Amino acid sequence: MAMKTLTAQQKQALATMRERIGGVSEEKKQHAKQLKAARKAIVQLLTQKPATAPEIAAALNMPSDEALWHLTGMRKYGHVTEAGEEGEYLLYALVATEEAAATAH
Amino acid sequence: MTPATEQSNAYRPDALVVGGGIAGMQSALDLAEQGLKVMLVERGPSIGGHMISLAKVFPTLDCASCITAPKMSASSHHDNIKILVNTEVQGIQTIGGVHHVKLLKKATYVNFDKCIGCRLCEYACDAEYPDPLEEGLGARRAIGVAFTNAIPQKAVLNPELCATCGTCARVCPTDAIEFDQQSETVIVQTDAVIVASGFALNSLNVKPQYNAARSRNIVSALTMERLLAPHGPYGRVLRPSDGKIPSSVAFVQCAGSRDASIGVSYCSRVCCMYAIKQAMLLSGALPIADITIYYMDIRAFGKGYEQFYQNAKAMGVNFVRGKVARIDPVDDGDLSLHVETTEDPENFLQERRHDLVVLAQGMLPEWDMSGTTPVQRAADGFVATPMLTSPTVTTAPGIFVAGVAAGPKDIVDTIAEAGAAAMQVSQYLYQKRSANVTESQSAVLVG
Repeated sequence: MAMKTLTAQQKQALATMRERIGGVSEEKKQHAKQLKAARKAIVQLLTQKPATAPEIAAALNMPSDEALWHLTGMRKYGHVTEAGEEGEYLLYALVATEEAAATAH
Repeated sequence: MTPATEQSNAYRPDALVVGGGIAGMQSALDLAEQGLKVMLVERGPSIGGHMISLAKVFPTLDCASCITAPKMSASSHHDNIKILVNTEVQGIQTIGGVHHVKLLKKATYVNFDKCIGCRLCEYACDAEYPDPLEEGLGARRAIGVAFTNAIPQKAVLNPELCATCGTCARVCPTDAIEFDQQSETVIVQTDAVIVASGFALNSLNVKPQYNAARSRNIVSALTMERLLAPHGPYGRVLRPSDGKIPSSVAFVQCAGSRDASIGVSYCSRVCCMYAIKQAMLLSGALPIADITIYYMDIRAFGKGYEQFYQNAKAMGVNFVRGKVARIDPVDDGDLSLHVETTEDPENFLQERRHDLVVLAQGMLPEWDMSGTTPVQRAADGFVATPMLTSPTVTTAPGIFVAGVAAGPKDIVDTIAEAGAAAMQVSQYLYQKRSANVTESQSAVLVG
């Protein structure tokens, strides 16, 4: 994805918005940090083999609903796909494209 | 409200419609086809309302978005309809028969004239959160197009989620991102208003004995619609707690209405039929699953509804007459339902286990306009319609109502009522303008 440099006017506008919304809260920073770490860990796990949401949850010590939410988001944005079923659960696998790898959080 | 502090002089519609759901769109289209100029005001980022997120409709099982999307498209392309999204109606004041509608146009931080809906900003954004349009099951980013077939296909930035990194502006090919955009208040003058503000559901937690707060597998009917929709968050029906393919699904009827103890004593009118519809769709999606509907009585009152109900029974959906007293989360995310049934006098207190439960919540009015508009509410909270023979006429002259804003009703009745409201507006404008012409003619003759 081509990235442009922000103009001075855009930087000023961004600073104005940041000020207007009261800066980036600690909660937002924490959310971003946790999201990035979780996505990275899920990608690492799925690199080894496809897995179900409960398997990912157990491996990463996170609630199953949270693992499912991450997989749902990654599926929406094209980073994982369904890879069959294992018992009563779906298996998820990484989408092996350069673009997906570049935009995975 | 002080009228006309800021005027929107550029556009003075004949009628303003509050709400871009199926009722609002149908009213707007019916008025526009008569040559009247209409402003359609929608609070969210897209028109389409609840209906665009449904899986299918009863009793025909037609695809909901296949019906809604053409209406959305027709509304957005009609020369006589101006659509405002991300805009809230803050109040209406009527002065000399003219309605002054105060609108808050919320900042989208995107220049809609420049945005081409390519979604590159959304793909590049790092801030991802649960998506309320997917009942929290799916994910959305701080900037993006609301959903695949949203109208308009424009990105909107949510400042509450934005990390202000500026990436969206770096990747936007048309420089459409405007971080310094501000919300603005405008006042639109119009001769007629249709309130089509729709409904909300009461909380899943309104009956604490159902313990919805303790289990992700107790879901709303709208969540089930998203699970059943082919474009839903999972792309199939899965249990939200862990992604399990459900094998036993229960529908608990009258879980938020017909219950004076929670302040909703009326019947929400659509729950029986959507539960039957969802049960039939689940039978197709999960062929080996048990589907049970716990009901007090089935209200299949519309055209073809009774046959639809009979079809569901023939398909193997279990109908258990009784009342669910309590739901307890048990092992592995399953749920234990304590039911009092009328079907077996020897064993009327039963405990049944399911792995996903849908609560039929009560329908409530979405918008409380009392105090900010001349429109009065009825005792149930919905818009008061005092004339039995004119169900779209409110207590305020020139302000009409359509759809669930006036009380719970299904899509068929909503569309019929939207057409009726448009006709009432048309008649009202004709009479009002004829009277004005007669008055001015008289003045000329007398003068």
